[in-house]
Amino acid sequence: MKRYDLVVIGAGPAGMTAAIYGVRANLKVLLLEKLAPGGQIINTKEIENYPGVGKIDGAELAYKMFEHVQELGVEFDYRTVTKIENKDELKYIYTEEDDTVIEALTVIVATGTRPRTLGIPGEEEYKGSAISWCAICDGAKYRDKDVVIIGGGNSAVDEGTYLASIVKSLTIITDFDLTADPVSADYLRSLPNVTVHPYKRVVEFIGENGQLTGVKFVDKETGENEQVVQCDGVFEYIGAVPATEFLQGTNIINDYGFIETNERMATKIPGIFGAGDCISKHLRQVVTATSDGAIAAQEAAAYIKSLRNQKQLTGGAI
Amino acid sequence: MIKEIVKEEFATDLAEGAVLVDFYSKTCGPCKMLDFILKDIDKTYGEQVKIIKVDFEAYPDLIEKYNVEGYPTLVMFKDGKEISRKSGLQQKPVITKMIEEAI
Ligand SMILES: Cc1cc2nc3c(=O)[nH]c(=O)nc-3n(C[C@H](O)[C@H](O)[C@H](O)COP(=O)(O)OP(=O)(O)OC[C@H]3O[C@@H](n4cnc5c(N)ncnc54)[C@H](O)[C@@H]3O)c2cc1C
Repeated sequence: MKRYDLVVIGAGPAGMTAAIYGVRANLKVLLLEKLAPGGQIINTKEIENYPGVGKIDGAELAYKMFEHVQELGVEFDYRTVTKIENKDELKYIYTEEDDTVIEALTVIVATGTRPRTLGIPGEEEYKGSAISWCAICDGAKYRDKDVVIIGGGNSAVDEGTYLASIVKSLTIITDFDLTADPVSADYLRSLPNVTVHPYKRVVEFIGENGQLTGVKFVDKETGENEQVVQCDGVFEYIGAVPATEFLQGTNIINDYGFIETNERMATKIPGIFGAGDCISKHLRQVVTATSDGAIAAQEAAAYIKSLRNQKQLTGGAI
Repeated sequence: MIKEIVKEEFATDLAEGAVLVDFYSKTCGPCKMLDFILKDIDKTYGEQVKIIKVDFEAYPDLIEKYNVEGYPTLVMFKDGKEISRKSGLQQKPVITKMIEEAI
């Protein structure tokens, strides 16, 4: 069994920063990622609020962060974590790929969030084909076609502005109004191929022969006034849920699945820390994720030091 | 082996052995990260699989011919025949499985 000082789960901005701070604190670090290094920002066209880099393509920022991680020689592996077990001072990490169990003194969970889904008829059938959560990835196939966005927050408006430049028509259906920042929302609303239906609830995805043809929606308050908008594709932006399924049954997540941490990113289990979008907090951004990652790694190093000091006093080894 | 497409050689390249074609765009983030994973895979498989990268914007004729709808799209060929296809950024084990089925 391989033993590490620190295993970081998730290679988004929070996890990559934690890995950087971890090796710089002389810890033996392993960074695990289920998909590709970078996290959510690889799907973001432009990041304009991360200090020092001006306007930058999300993937480019992710790539730069990962290069930094590699320059420091952090061990990296493609794995999906399925369980963490906590026994005495040791954490045992299980993954989907094989039976190998990874042993660590500390763990930082930085698994971020994934998009929330509606759970209405038709969604299961068309997801991945005509229903998507990433305009940058799937927008290209809707050139000159009709597209619907569900949601009205920042993600919906950002991605909608990008989609509107490609598609024939863009219809936005949202249960409030556009709640994104007013300048961006007003701009999107002013585009000639954009229609907004505020205070509506989407109830069904409609199709024929396995092909999506439209979206059915009603008035949010009354459930009446059923309408159907014809479309070739749908993008859903209705919020996010934490990617913390593997922590179900532990006492470190709240009712919504977000990890509860203190200001030092420590959870209720000594040696397990949380960082980034998957923790309970108010502002989910790259800059707050990197900050969390740095604090968590620093605290992990301090925890290991105190553990070793204790063992020295009591005569054990770790 | 990983290389950018050379149009004149594409048909000959495809005709024999395991060939993984990556239809990508220079402006797409997930494509950049997929490229990173492919480079990693290339270290493992070396000459056993040819990975050929095709720029979505530069070869509209190939995009149409192979019916590629978005990027990134990975198409696995064995002796010239398509045996599997995946669109979007994929996990490394998924790509490895596509290759294993072709070699
Ligand atoms: C459309 C959109 C636009 C945005 N624009 C901006 C912006 O302009 N500026 C800004 O600052 N922020 C922006 N954000 C927010 C920003 O992307 C996030 O705050 C940031 O990516 C959070 O980083 P993270 O490391 O906590 O999580 P993530 O980036 O989500 O990374 C988590 C990683 O963990 C991996 N993972 C998940 N589960 C497991 C598992 N079980 N095992 C192994 N790995 C796992 C995931 O694959 C992922 O790579 C935007 C977000 C969206 C959706």
